[in-house]
Amino acid sequence: MTKYLPFVWKNLTRNKLRSLLTCAAVALAIALVCLLMTMPAGLRAIVDTFANNTRISVHNEAGLVYPLPYAYIQKIRALPGVTGAVSWTWFGGVFEIEKGVTFPNFAVEPEHIPVVFDDYEIDPKQLEDFRRYRDGAIVGRATLERNHWKIGDLVTLRGTVFPIDLSFRIVGEIPNQRAPHFWMNREYVDQALRAIGSSLDFLGIVWVRVDDPQRVEPLMREIDAMFANSEAETASETEQAYFKNFFSFLQGLVVVILIVTGLVTLCIVFIAANTASMAVRERVGEIAVLRALGFGKRLVFGMLLAEGMLLSAIGGAGGALLALVLTDLIRSQAALAPQMGPLGNFIVTPTIFVQTLFLALFIGMLSGLVPSFGAARRSVSEALREVV
Amino acid sequence: MPLPLRYSIGSLLARRVRTSLTVGVIALAVLATTLFGGLVSSMKRTLASTGDPRNLIVMRKGATNDGSSAVTLAAFQAIRFFEGVARDAAGQPLASPELVVQPFFRTKSGSARENVLVRGVEAVALQVHSDVSIAEGRMIRASSGEALVGRGVAGRYAGAQLGSELEFGRGSWRVVGIFEAKGSSLESEVWVDARELARDAKRPVPYSGVRLRVAPGADMDALARRIGDDPRYALEATRETEYYAKQADSANTFLLIVVGLAVLAGIGAAFGAINTLYASVQARRAEIGTLRAIGFSRGAVLVAFLLESLALALVGFAAGTLLAAIAGRAVSALLGGIGFAVNTFSTSVIEISVGLGDCLMALALSLAIGIVGGFFPAVRAARLQPVEALRKG
Repeated sequence: MTKYLPFVWKNLTRNKLRSLLTCAAVALAIALVCLLMTMPAGLRAIVDTFANNTRISVHNEAGLVYPLPYAYIQKIRALPGVTGAVSWTWFGGVFEIEKGVTFPNFAVEPEHIPVVFDDYEIDPKQLEDFRRYRDGAIVGRATLERNHWKIGDLVTLRGTVFPIDLSFRIVGEIPNQRAPHFWMNREYVDQALRAIGSSLDFLGIVWVRVDDPQRVEPLMREIDAMFANSEAETASETEQAYFKNFFSFLQGLVVVILIVTGLVTLCIVFIAANTASMAVRERVGEIAVLRALGFGKRLVFGMLLAEGMLLSAIGGAGGALLALVLTDLIRSQAALAPQMGPLGNFIVTPTIFVQTLFLALFIGMLSGLVPSFGAARRSVSEALREVV
Repeated sequence: MPLPLRYSIGSLLARRVRTSLTVGVIALAVLATTLFGGLVSSMKRTLASTGDPRNLIVMRKGATNDGSSAVTLAAFQAIRFFEGVARDAAGQPLASPELVVQPFFRTKSGSARENVLVRGVEAVALQVHSDVSIAEGRMIRASSGEALVGRGVAGRYAGAQLGSELEFGRGSWRVVGIFEAKGSSLESEVWVDARELARDAKRPVPYSGVRLRVAPGADMDALARRIGDDPRYALEATRETEYYAKQADSANTFLLIVVGLAVLAGIGAAFGAINTLYASVQARRAEIGTLRAIGFSRGAVLVAFLLESLALALVGFAAGTLLAAIAGRAVSALLGGIGFAVNTFSTSVIEISVGLGDCLMALALSLAIGIVGGFFPAVRAARLQPVEALRKG
């Protein structure tokens, strides 16, 4: 079959302008599809890459902004089956005032991070620094990149929830492009609050690590039962459920994005089908000659189909590459995207890349199917008579 | 002499399959862009409630919304008596201290929980928020466990209707009224007594922000400066109009995506149209040669082809926007409104509604596709030498 490839290629380059335009149109549309697909993929990735099946989130039953007494974490740590627990307390720090809160920043206990978040693959040396330096901070790669920070930088966050401004030294990173977190030492925040006559005696969320996936369900029930009818009742969820709930408000947007993606895809089908039908119509006589020379129906059909597929495959590859460039450009704009949460990561994963390539190939096939079939099936004598 | 319009239209009708495929491409590009555009402009409309030009919002320095701000009781007591704050008939300052909390609400179906913005207010709030009006029922009374729900909240969550018990936070609240706020995001809020809310949420600082009405004739900027410069409280005062304009900015990321979508899809569709028309010129060489031979000028041929392409684009525009208006409504109805959240992660609910602005954008897009897509083929047609064209045809 490959020996016919030069022939297919020759046919494609015969009308260079048309092939080029079609190719470019397919490329642009595929780039769009790629770009749009990163948005729902970002949401899925949060659940897939961060959520661990042995981590539980425990928070106030009334809402995430409702605090829990700090003593709860000790009670949770004492439960059998719990290998570690760390608390996240929303600090609400702002880096550049005019931009507002652009990344989630939490006060945590550095010594418990390694056990609870061992799957984050943070450098042990950096974790050690985080524990050692009171003003240390560990920052997710997404936030590092967006603000052009690097390890060793000093940054000052202005508190909006607490009336304090704090300076931090970045000692480590969460090596994940989607991680926006900014972790600081809880004790550092507490001491700063004590200096102004206050203190940090509550927490936001407790992340609990369990030794055995089988123990997760019973342990969640146990924790909620332990604090039932107290001043602050808790709600425990698996990490996956937590993220799903947290971002549930984005579901509607995701549906709209998927619809738009579908429309753009359909648009490519139309463009490609149009070209394929033009290419075939012009060559009625030629195809008849080929058939008369002894080329089989299937072969002619295959060659015409291959032509369309090759064209959209090239366009698809170009589009996917364009999407890579575009997403890089978008990500480097710090002002963009923080409000979009995980929809705004704009990362073209290898999966998306390959998926769009296959999509392009499939579209090429689909759009060439009808005209190629028609052309191959046409009676030779009739076609020749019409032309000559 | 120009060619009759009938010629251009007739040419399109002569090649039905190709014409409808090209119209389809343009319509799809328009549909995709308009649908997304309708979503974003709804977002912007919701966020950009104009605010009252006479009002100031006081928050902690650096806070971008009153959900992540804190104002102490002492600070509130001081600034409400600052010079330039308006007074009501009884001589009380028109300063509304507010506490914003986002508890979980259960949706009616019980399947999802969402963060809803609950605003703790005092009676003065209604005087300061001039956009807000009570549509049904009455205003809440202090310390009585009563709640006022926005039009957007009413009916979406379990218990959020007049006379029902609404459960959130630690307690249960009786809904005594429903308010409207000219379609702004305030309508996605629930209002309760500020002190009760602070107790429920165990807030160490009683307020998250203060809204001030500036007295007629007073210098607004001077008052804002005085609040901002006071070293005791580290507060910042912004004009309400400015604050809301900034909130609307957060929809700009989406707007940028819409523009990108329009441009990329538009270029793609234009390429498709160029292809079609080039093929059309190619197929009609003899016809064009004849036209030129019987005396139609180059200009007339050029215009005829441009008109053909514009007609394609306009039909695509009409089909695309019509579909977008229908699809937008259908999608919103199926999903029960589209939720989104800004900064605070409290849910605002909107519908996709395709407005005049979106239609104009789509029209500009289709005209651009039509002109760009038609220009090059039209030039080629106009350049044909009559003798050549006739001979080859």
